[in-house]
Amino acid sequence: MAKDVAPERVAAVAAAARIPLPRDGAARIARAVTMPVTRFAAANIALDMEVEPATFVAVQRKDAQS
Amino acid sequence: MSDPAELSLTDLASAIRRRKVSSAEVTKALLARIKKWQPKINAFARVEAEDAMKAARAADRALANGKIRGPLHGVPLAHKDMYYVKGKLSECGSKIRKGWIAPATATALVKLEAAGAFRLGALNMVEFAFGPTGHNVHTGHVRNPWMPAHVTGGSSSGSGAAVGARLVPAALGSDTGGSIRLPAHFCGVTGLKTTNGRVSRANAMPLSFTLDTVGPLARTAEDCALIAAATAGPDPLDPTTDGAPAWDSQAAKRAPRGMTIGIPKSFYVDDLERDVDQALDDAIATFRKLGARIVQVDLPDQTLVSAAALIVIAVEAASYHAPWLRGRAKDYGEQVRNRLINGTAYSGIEYLEALRWRGPALAAHLAAIGQCDAILVPTARSAAPTIAETDVGGGANAEAVILGVTRFMRPVNYLGLPALTVPAAFSKGGLPIGLQLIGRPFRDETLIALGAAFQNETDYHTRAPALP
Repeated sequence: MAKDVAPERVAAVAAAARIPLPRDGAARIARAVTMPVTRFAAANIALDMEVEPATFVAVQRKDAQS
Repeated sequence: MSDPAELSLTDLASAIRRRKVSSAEVTKALLARIKKWQPKINAFARVEAEDAMKAARAADRALANGKIRGPLHGVPLAHKDMYYVKGKLSECGSKIRKGWIAPATATALVKLEAAGAFRLGALNMVEFAFGPTGHNVHTGHVRNPWMPAHVTGGSSSGSGAAVGARLVPAALGSDTGGSIRLPAHFCGVTGLKTTNGRVSRANAMPLSFTLDTVGPLARTAEDCALIAAATAGPDPLDPTTDGAPAWDSQAAKRAPRGMTIGIPKSFYVDDLERDVDQALDDAIATFRKLGARIVQVDLPDQTLVSAAALIVIAVEAASYHAPWLRGRAKDYGEQVRNRLINGTAYSGIEYLEALRWRGPALAAHLAAIGQCDAILVPTARSAAPTIAETDVGGGANAEAVILGVTRFMRPVNYLGLPALTVPAAFSKGGLPIGLQLIGRPFRDETLIALGAAFQNETDYHTRAPALP
């Protein structure tokens, strides 16, 4: 489980996306994204293999027809 | 006839249709009002007075010949400056799109025009719709018509301010993370965040293809229904609307008697300012009086749902803006640039797991609310803060301020649910307070029915600010 997000990881992912970061940007971004990343990771959600993004639409439409 | 600016959209459309007032008279009155208010609240990005007067006269001529285009015949509206009109500027509150001419018209505007409405101009907004307060370093902050030192909420800041100040009877906003409901709450108007897939997003500026929704801000729930009825339904240009139901006007008129409204036991009721807490209690009493059954509900962890929403919006927004972040990063305001760059920091797996979890999360929410037709919660934990106290730019405090303002917003966006914010009280300081009714997928009409019944019992939506 991720306890925090390291600035080194932020710098690496941004570099892979070819997006330049300002000086001290990686540290600021790491602080900003730590809450959602760690909160989501902490839930340790086990998704069935069959679940895909479009599953949302199926659930939505099923309720609308009920 | 008295000042047409005082009429709701429903009454105005009816008065024009019955020729109690001409479209040209209405347009002229609203243009005069805009002239007085614009220097105080900065709601408009551009006013298109000449084109609007031409459209108004054409509507009057058609009516004189017995031709009615639709339920909004001859009604002047204005919309957030992210709804494209072919051949016209759409600057999206930004420096980057300064001078940008749209190549096509938004489907929502095409449908409103088919219903007989026309545009008075374009409304200011937060840069690229990515901010909840209404601050904008490029176009100037939009100011709250009730107290101009206070925020309007965002990102549909101009839409909230213009409807609140009675400069237009209704306006389109967009809601990806609260951008319709927050301005409705802070400016004392009614705002409908539609079910994802209900209204076409085609040729509206995107922020998050998963979470973006189109919807109206207006004076009343009934007014929102008029706009939603005109704009809802399938559009081949937006595949997410495939199979979307047309608007059901009868369902929007159901009486609340026999409906069930859920009140969450936690999260939405925690740490509220006293005025908001009281507004919620009063609204519960009103719905009880109207015959609705009130039950407590135990929702799944909303902080987890909010975290998933934050991941999805951040990555998708960063993806849209990546080309400009590579080449024109300095042309963004600091806060928007910082928040966009944040989206580059999530891994592919984190993003896709957040996206894949959306279906199971919606199923869990629906199981938790059982047979509830809606849940009733605050829109925010307080009335509008001041512009100064939330003017945090891209500083260290920015994320905390943004998360505080949007605390009750993100679950609705992540779960794709409809939500209606209705004015429900005023703070001791004299600022509006709105509550949100959150519905079931594609049951936007139920929220309209509940909102309209609530507004029949209360008068908060009828109060208007005085010229500052």
